Amino acid sequence: MTPSPATHIAFVVLAALAVLSGWRVFCTDSMVRASFFLLLSFIAVGGIMILLTAEYLGVAMFFMMAVEMMVMALFMVMFMMNPAGLNPMKMVHQERVAIVAGVAVFGVLSAVAVLGDFPDMPLPAEHAPVISLGRELLGDSMLIFETAGVVLLTTMVGVVVLSSRHGRYGRADEGSIPPGLEPGGEPAGQPKESEEEKGEEGGHAHQHHH
Amino acid sequence: MAVSWQRRLAARAPAAVFLVEGARIGPVRETLALSPGIRLVDTPRHASVLVVAGDVPTGWRDDLRRIHDQLPAPFVSVWCCCESFEALCNPIRNDAVEALPQGVVETHRELMLGKRDSAPRLLPDEPPNSWEGLGDDGHGGEGMMGGTPYGRPMAMNMQDDLRDGLTLDTLTFRLGPFHSALPPGLQAEVSLQGDLVQTWTVTRKPFASVVEPIFHAARQEPVPIVEIELARARHHLRRLYRGLWIAGWPRLAERTLRMAGQLSPNSDIAGLRYTLERGGLWRLALPEPGRGALDEAQARQLGGPAARAAGIDDDLRSQDAHYRRLGFAPTCREAGDTAARWQQWLDEIEQSLVLAGQAARHDLKTAEADAVETPRGPWADAFPHDMSDLLGEVLPGLEWSEALLTLASLDVAALDLHPLGETRLPGPGHAGQKGHA
Amino acid sequence: MILDQLILPWLLAWLMAGLGAYLVAVLDRLMASGSAQVGSVWLAPLASAAWLMTQQATTTEAPDAPAWRLAPALYLALAAIGLALVPWSPTLVGVDLSTSLVLWGSLEALATVVIFLHGWSANSHLALIGAYRYVALGLSYLLISMFVLIGVALPAESLRLTEVVAAQASLWHVVSQPLGLPLFLVVGLGLTFWGPLNLADSADLSGGTAVERSGPPRLVWALARAAMLVAFSAIAATAFLGGWMGPWLPGPAWLLIKSLAVLVVLLWLGRRLPRLAPERCLTLMWVVLLPLSFVDLIWAGAVALWMA
Repeated sequence: MTPSPATHIAFVVLAALAVLSGWRVFCTDSMVRASFFLLLSFIAVGGIMILLTAEYLGVAMFFMMAVEMMVMALFMVMFMMNPAGLNPMKMVHQERVAIVAGVAVFGVLSAVAVLGDFPDMPLPAEHAPVISLGRELLGDSMLIFETAGVVLLTTMVGVVVLSSRHGRYGRADEGSIPPGLEPGGEPAGQPKESEEEKGEEGGHAHQHHH
Repeated sequence: MAVSWQRRLAARAPAAVFLVEGARIGPVRETLALSPGIRLVDTPRHASVLVVAGDVPTGWRDDLRRIHDQLPAPFVSVWCCCESFEALCNPIRNDAVEALPQGVVETHRELMLGKRDSAPRLLPDEPPNSWEGLGDDGHGGEGMMGGTPYGRPMAMNMQDDLRDGLTLDTLTFRLGPFHSALPPGLQAEVSLQGDLVQTWTVTRKPFASVVEPIFHAARQEPVPIVEIELARARHHLRRLYRGLWIAGWPRLAERTLRMAGQLSPNSDIAGLRYTLERGGLWRLALPEPGRGALDEAQARQLGGPAARAAGIDDDLRSQDAHYRRLGFAPTCREAGDTAARWQQWLDEIEQSLVLAGQAARHDLKTAEADAVETPRGPWADAFPHDMSDLLGEVLPGLEWSEALLTLASLDVAALDLHPLGETRLPGPGHAGQKGHA
Repeated sequence: MILDQLILPWLLAWLMAGLGAYLVAVLDRLMASGSAQVGSVWLAPLASAAWLMTQQATTTEAPDAPAWRLAPALYLALAAIGLALVPWSPTLVGVDLSTSLVLWGSLEALATVVIFLHGWSANSHLALIGAYRYVALGLSYLLISMFVLIGVALPAESLRLTEVVAAQASLWHVVSQPLGLPLFLVVGLGLTFWGPLNLADSADLSGGTAVERSGPPRLVWALARAAMLVAFSAIAATAFLGGWMGPWLPGPAWLLIKSLAVLVVLLWLGRRLPRLAPERCLTLMWVVLLPLSFVDLIWAGAVALWMA
């Protein structure tokens, strides 16, 4: 099936939108704006995927990217300075390295696009993208995806734990020490230390045994 | 003049009123809230009519000017018991609270139909500080960020977080003095991290709060217990109204207010209590137990229902022989937190209604005349003073909504010792609507 | 082709958005019997709209101009896209995507973004708090919504809304998945920040994200919220109440009746309950409702296997 003129027009518009909003990401002065320009760019790419009849992936792109960019904007604003993101800040750093890397990557990708030999295989009429995607995700590639998922989750939990000053047993910068197994006993699960070091720690209610 | 159908239709809409409450004014918010054709709003941006009721002292006039200019055009201001700005050449003055709603509705109609011009702006429309950044959307001008691009310091980490150690940037702003959720006249500088209150500094004290004249009369001579108890129940119901409004329950708030207007010795609030409990006000909406708690010294200083909610059974009524004849004993709650103070309101309203019912049968008057328990607190030799500095101790550590619900449960303004209408206010004081140059 | 693929969905969506928003205003007023209101029930929403149209659209100091202007329109557009997805009968469907259920899910996610931008772009502290609060709520209800919607898609073995309806021919999902609809109603209240879940435009923030809004943009914002409520009701009726199916009446009429029922329940909940405290709301979402949505999903899977 050859694409209709409407498909061509839609592709050009979406592609232009994707590139333009992608470029704007680097011109704004706020992290929130940058995140949502990126979201706009991804939405345009999702539209292109729908044009390529990857309907599920395109729509899932809207879904995933909306949540992702929202969380990203929120986390950046939470962990860095500038609460509202409305006070301007400089968003580009190490410009020379970035320019070189950008040009290099652009060269490689366009070489792939221009010089590559793409298969020209029309999709069968009964092709069901959702089903084949599901078989891929929960079939041969399951281990890869599940591993990546668990690793990402661990990273997220780790970041939150690390960035919080309060540990389970008190504030990190005041020396958080777990309580003893019996009241007033040695801190549980701590490696053996020499007596002097213990003495210096002080302050906590654990007794020395001489 | 031809009036477009759109404006004629707009004239049928309820008048959206932003109310500025000044000093020494009766229950004008309550009167407006129950008036058909009037909708009270919480921000000047949502209003078409600015109603200024009560005296606004000199130090507060600039803030009033700023509020005046925030209303979207077309808008007008109606002044009740308050001098208007000289720059307003044809201000609408309406000193009778009873006639105010009708006047406001009329004014709104005239404004929408184009019979009345929109009020002029009083201040220039320009940023309070000049731009000091680099370029059109440049950053602060010092390194990656920093500097004072808007003439204000950038929000930066300055404090540790009070909740979980997740340090966010501190956002500091000023609230008041005419914010609808704060006591009239109170202005505070608030620092937030996320929506957690870090500091709360009172920069201007609230206006003294006015109680019904019967409490003043009770200091002169014995007054019927029925009336004084109904006035007390009414006072608490009105505070409950404001609390429920902030708690996001406008329908029930209105019902509460309606009830306050129709109180009799036979009224009871069992239905209201049932609705509040079934709707999950304590389980879901109010701060968790222990939040917003006052310690004993704070509760004792504040006095009144807040003290009794913390388990202090001080109540001047128990020294009155006739109250004792009615079997009066102070009702108390132990926790002293925000949830307990909300419960205490209901308890005290119920108690007042029971007392009023009994007193009506025996036709009793108060026995003591030199000490009276006002709804705000005990008034004997001493009287309730301004306690707004207490907010700086109670509110930090609470989330924004918890803080405002706690604030609603605390009556921190001083008691106004002069009954309304004792001193004539300046101005013509004509009843009804009248424009004057 | 242009008629049934472009004009029809467009007409369906905007007709429903406009009429629906009006209907929400009228119903809300009808339910407020006994309060101080003047004027006819039918004219009052129009009068309020005309009042907002005559008003000046104020702005703030240094807002984020594109987001500040676009946010209300974008929210309305999301509601309209949602309405275009609703199948009125096996043949009368605005847009019959093979992944319409996922598209509805992404509308919910994008709504969070738009509501956040509405509050954030105002450059005003109370609006900003409303925006952040809403994100916390949005991220919580999105997960619930996702699991509930997967549960609906399981028996149909399809992500297409028309097939979800067809799968309910023998038994509606409201019966076969008893946890689904109550959980989904919570999602609806969250999506439109209505009643107890109004954390974004709440009274303690003096109007929250809309605190600085006036004039026509405020009207669009209110319209969008009401239209979203209607869109949600229609989707809920489709996913759980058997959509167009029913005896005697034609399909669209049944869908209308069922959507109206969901709408009335939502409006009633909005009146009966106070606004939830944000902290408690999040605890409720993550500790109670999210596990319940797991249970719903497992239940739905088991029932689908048993019935297959």
